[in-house]
Amino acid sequence: MSEEKTDPILTEQEEAPVLAEEPAIGEAALPVEGEQAVLSAEGEAALPAEENGENNQKPVLSPQEKKIIWKDRFNRYKAWLYLLPALIILAVFTVWPIINTVRMSFLKDYDALKAIGGASFTVGFDNFVNVAHYRRFLTCLTNTMLLTVITVPVSTMLALLIAVALNSIKFIRRTMQTIFFLPYVTNAIAIGMVFMAMFSVIGGNPSQPLSIGIINTIIEAFGGKAVNWVNAGSSKVANMAVLIIYIVWNALPFKILVLLGGLQGVNKQYYEAAKVDGASRFRIFWRITVPMLSPMIAYVVITGFIGGFKEYSSIVGIFGESMGPVGADGRMNTMVGFIYDAIESGNQGRASAAALILFVIIFAVTMINMYVSKKRVHY
Amino acid sequence: MRKKIGVAIMAGIMTCLTAFSVVATGCGGKQKPDFVMPDGGFDTNNSVTISFYHTMNQDLRGVLDSAIEKFTEMYPNITVEHKQIGDYDDVRDQIISEINAGNQPNIAYCYPDHVAAFNTSKAVQSLNAFLPDSEYKDMKVTRADGMEEYICLTEEEQKNFIDGYWEEGWQFDDGSTMYTLPFSKSIEVLYYNVDFFRDNGLEVPTTWDEMEEVCARIKQIAPDDFVFGYDSEANWFITMCEQMKVSTGKEYYTSSTGTKYLFDNEKTREFVQRFKGWYDNGYFTTRALYSNKYTSTLFTAASGEKCYMCIGSSAGAKNQVPTGNTFEVGIKPIPQLDPAHPKVISQGPSVCIFKNEDPQKVLASWLLVKYLTTNIPFQAQFATTSGYVPVLKQDVMLTNATYADLLSKADGGDHIAALSQKVCMGQTAAYYTSPAFPGSSKARDEVGLLMQAVFSGSKSLDAAFEDAIDECEYAYPSD
Amino acid sequence: MTDFHENNENEMTAVQQETLQEEAVQAAPVRQESENKAELDSAENLMKEKDIKTVSRKQTAMKVLVQIGLYVFLGIMALIVLFPFYWMLISSVKTLDEYNAVVPTLWPQQFKWENYAAAFTGDLDLGTLLLNTILVGVVSTLLSLIITVLSAYAFARLEFRGKNALFAALLATMMIPGELFTITNYVTVAEFGWLSNWAGIFTTLVVPFLVSVFYIYLLRQNFMQIPNELYLAAKVDGTSDLKYLWRVMVPLAAPTLVSITILKMMGAWNSYIWPRLVAKGTIDLVTVGLRGAAFTDLATGLTDFPAQMAAVLLVTLPLLLVFLFFRKYIMRGVSRSGIKG
Repeated sequence: MSEEKTDPILTEQEEAPVLAEEPAIGEAALPVEGEQAVLSAEGEAALPAEENGENNQKPVLSPQEKKIIWKDRFNRYKAWLYLLPALIILAVFTVWPIINTVRMSFLKDYDALKAIGGASFTVGFDNFVNVAHYRRFLTCLTNTMLLTVITVPVSTMLALLIAVALNSIKFIRRTMQTIFFLPYVTNAIAIGMVFMAMFSVIGGNPSQPLSIGIINTIIEAFGGKAVNWVNAGSSKVANMAVLIIYIVWNALPFKILVLLGGLQGVNKQYYEAAKVDGASRFRIFWRITVPMLSPMIAYVVITGFIGGFKEYSSIVGIFGESMGPVGADGRMNTMVGFIYDAIESGNQGRASAAALILFVIIFAVTMINMYVSKKRVHY
Repeated sequence: MRKKIGVAIMAGIMTCLTAFSVVATGCGGKQKPDFVMPDGGFDTNNSVTISFYHTMNQDLRGVLDSAIEKFTEMYPNITVEHKQIGDYDDVRDQIISEINAGNQPNIAYCYPDHVAAFNTSKAVQSLNAFLPDSEYKDMKVTRADGMEEYICLTEEEQKNFIDGYWEEGWQFDDGSTMYTLPFSKSIEVLYYNVDFFRDNGLEVPTTWDEMEEVCARIKQIAPDDFVFGYDSEANWFITMCEQMKVSTGKEYYTSSTGTKYLFDNEKTREFVQRFKGWYDNGYFTTRALYSNKYTSTLFTAASGEKCYMCIGSSAGAKNQVPTGNTFEVGIKPIPQLDPAHPKVISQGPSVCIFKNEDPQKVLASWLLVKYLTTNIPFQAQFATTSGYVPVLKQDVMLTNATYADLLSKADGGDHIAALSQKVCMGQTAAYYTSPAFPGSSKARDEVGLLMQAVFSGSKSLDAAFEDAIDECEYAYPSD
Repeated sequence: MTDFHENNENEMTAVQQETLQEEAVQAAPVRQESENKAELDSAENLMKEKDIKTVSRKQTAMKVLVQIGLYVFLGIMALIVLFPFYWMLISSVKTLDEYNAVVPTLWPQQFKWENYAAAFTGDLDLGTLLLNTILVGVVSTLLSLIITVLSAYAFARLEFRGKNALFAALLATMMIPGELFTITNYVTVAEFGWLSNWAGIFTTLVVPFLVSVFYIYLLRQNFMQIPNELYLAAKVDGTSDLKYLWRVMVPLAAPTLVSITILKMMGAWNSYIWPRLVAKGTIDLVTVGLRGAAFTDLATGLTDFPAQMAAVLLVTLPLLLVFLFFRKYIMRGVSRSGIKG
């Protein structure tokens, strides 16, 4: 029913129009639509803009008038009004603790309990020096970086493919979508157990184990050689591989949920138009799906990096509190693992210093991400 | 634009930073006063409510409920609000947060390590004022049942405690203050396959040398099996240190003062090296080395890999029943260096009382703690239900008909838990506990990891010991 | 997008537009339900017009192949993603012995349905726990949605000085591990006097986690996809921001709002550390019951994981089903009105 309307997109402009620059949209299309959508508001308030045809009878606004609208003084206060509830709560329950974190980081070996007990603490950079001098500091840092840099792109790509696939099938589509929701009710203990069962080599005699685990069985079935993944004597590379699979696995459901949500909002007409135009699936994917979804992809990547740098629970899930295979405790530890250790030993000063070091790293990476996405993301 | 953002944020951060590193340390006023006996002693007229955090679930809470009911019949003005917080670590975390806010409970059920952590804030009440040699030792309180009760522990009551447990309460700081009373405990025992030992004409080892011989013999009989499983490497290490201390009088593990971590020495390296040899011979495995499965799964296994002895917690007796009851299980004390002076590790919860502005609350808490730890029927009931061992001596416990009956039925079949109780109660003189200080739990973790690293061959003896000491000293430096 | 509208408008009269609009509204649900068919049909029609039957057959074959490929891919991924869930299901009916067996079994040797019964007969007061959790979950989800929508709107549509800097600062708050906040926040709520009564504890359970920068960011992204023209036109027409937000933005962002609702609700269902710390028997939540030591043997520290998983499934599965229904319902509304981007 919408062929007529969507035709022009691809026939007249080979570049998918979604790639158009933002300002262009703002200026050219400003007066045309919307009004109707707002006024006719009921259930279909958000009717496709292109369907509100009478709009072109309305006079076009001059740039001056637009500026007047934008500069409406009330608007400035209004934005803060909208933000007020969030800002108040954040100030009390996030900003204040952060400030406290900063304070603690400059008090040597600060421990709130000791403070209550009447101890005093030297002010200075001792905590930072101390953290940097921890013999496994570099291990924690490189583990954190490596895990993030590998798992975020992999999980995003996979989630994108799954979301797109989910969106392009028709038969049992809803059932499929439901299946990808189910991981939300799986608890962490179960996931940890699964991995132990899958990767663990079981039995006291490594040369003749009782069970080599599901994964090794599959590897051997394909003619490969069984690998010691997570047990005593395993290599760091093998440990890393298991962790990466585990983290990607864990991250998938959320990313699929977000990307699918984004996809379902994308106007179907673009696809139909593209299909009519005979564009290849690959082309549609790169020229329409990815740009349309770019804000969500940017979101998933940026928050993925932020979350990835805070990786901790997945290592505990596989290796337990010792953060490494038996005999090599601490080998897979991460920055947040280090922070936990410090909190556990009552050294909030050191924990805070480590958190701030981590913060600076995440902040820098996020800024780079934002910079890149600013150039690539289409709104 | 981007630059501006960066500048704005950096400016914001710097402002916060400078502003608040100047601001005073904040929570300094949360410290509560030390207990001073009120003039009239405990006031039985005005109502007082005390809170008690513990980890007891279901059945145990029932046991506790009925005990508290009996207690409040004697002290109707006391209301006890008791609450299961989670597991032991949850209780610890909860209380640490609450000390920060100044709303901690009155009584906590916890490990001595945790008490050492709480006490960095000086929040834990010393129990010295309530001991038999206290200046208040003649003060009495009249209960609702008309009986008079000494507020302090009487000498007789004190003597009823198993010595090793009593001493645990003194393991803090320089040893001049008592902070905890033992509540319920478990020890390590040796489970063995009675049928296998009988059929092969073997004796259960009582010393580590005998253990080595038995291992060699069993390995000839069943080359593919392990001889024994040890659940906790840390317990093994600490126990060896304590057993060595018998002959030399020297500390080999930790000390709560001075250099805290003494565990890297020739003697300890010697036994770790020795056990490494055993491991390489396939004599034993541990829980961690055996894919994190309790070694009882090996011990009770009907087929596949097996082991014939298992050293684990006395409280876990019910898990040592073989699948399908294929053999009889026996329980013996663990092997020793010097069987004449045995040492066996004991673990389990104690109770501590927190300081409070209201001395009546402290007194009420003390009366409850005293009741729960010295009341024989309660101790008997609690032990039967939980699998823990009572903290009172065997002859005292045997005055209780229920407990005496339990011990009389002890065997390795249907009454394995009773057998475990009996074996434990038979060696109370051997119990010991280690010093508790901030860092004692870290030391425990590290010696366990050290053994794992050496046994699995991941680290050399030198590297394993050095790493362990480094980790301890980094987390909680010695003074 | 822009050109597309202009073209349309030039070509059609208002009347034509209106008819089309009606058609679209009526046809949309149908299209949604049988898109595959429609898509194939339209493709086939086109091909017929061009009268190239061989090409048509080839293309149809291609399409079928691609579809098969998609199903295979999705099937494999679904298996991978579902495996832990499957594991949880089978674990929940295993005996503790089998669960702890040295070599894990992929199918229970014997089914122990009593694990499910245990969730009700144990000392867990599941009824009260569920009621508390629903109360806390619903209230905090609703409030959180309102706050998130308002904030995301401000960041996506309103102009104000320091907007980008503020947004970056909000993002920055996500970068510090929240575990460091627990004690400070606990002291804060204690000083507010919130821990002394039911209402205070309820507030404590709800308020500190109402704002999630994570969700504000997600929704902002979604809002920014909605064409700016709609907003500007609404402005010209004098429609208030709130009205515009409620009538246009919220319906358009419905899929994302549903995602946020699910995540937030699940979060309330799974939160443990904070509720345990502050509730302490007054308003205990489900996790405090499930993850606490309820299933752990005090003396040995052995946890009855099968029983625990049975209980977890019992409380979370219905919730998920409600959501799936809810989601389906909302999605239907979305596809009716659906434009975006």
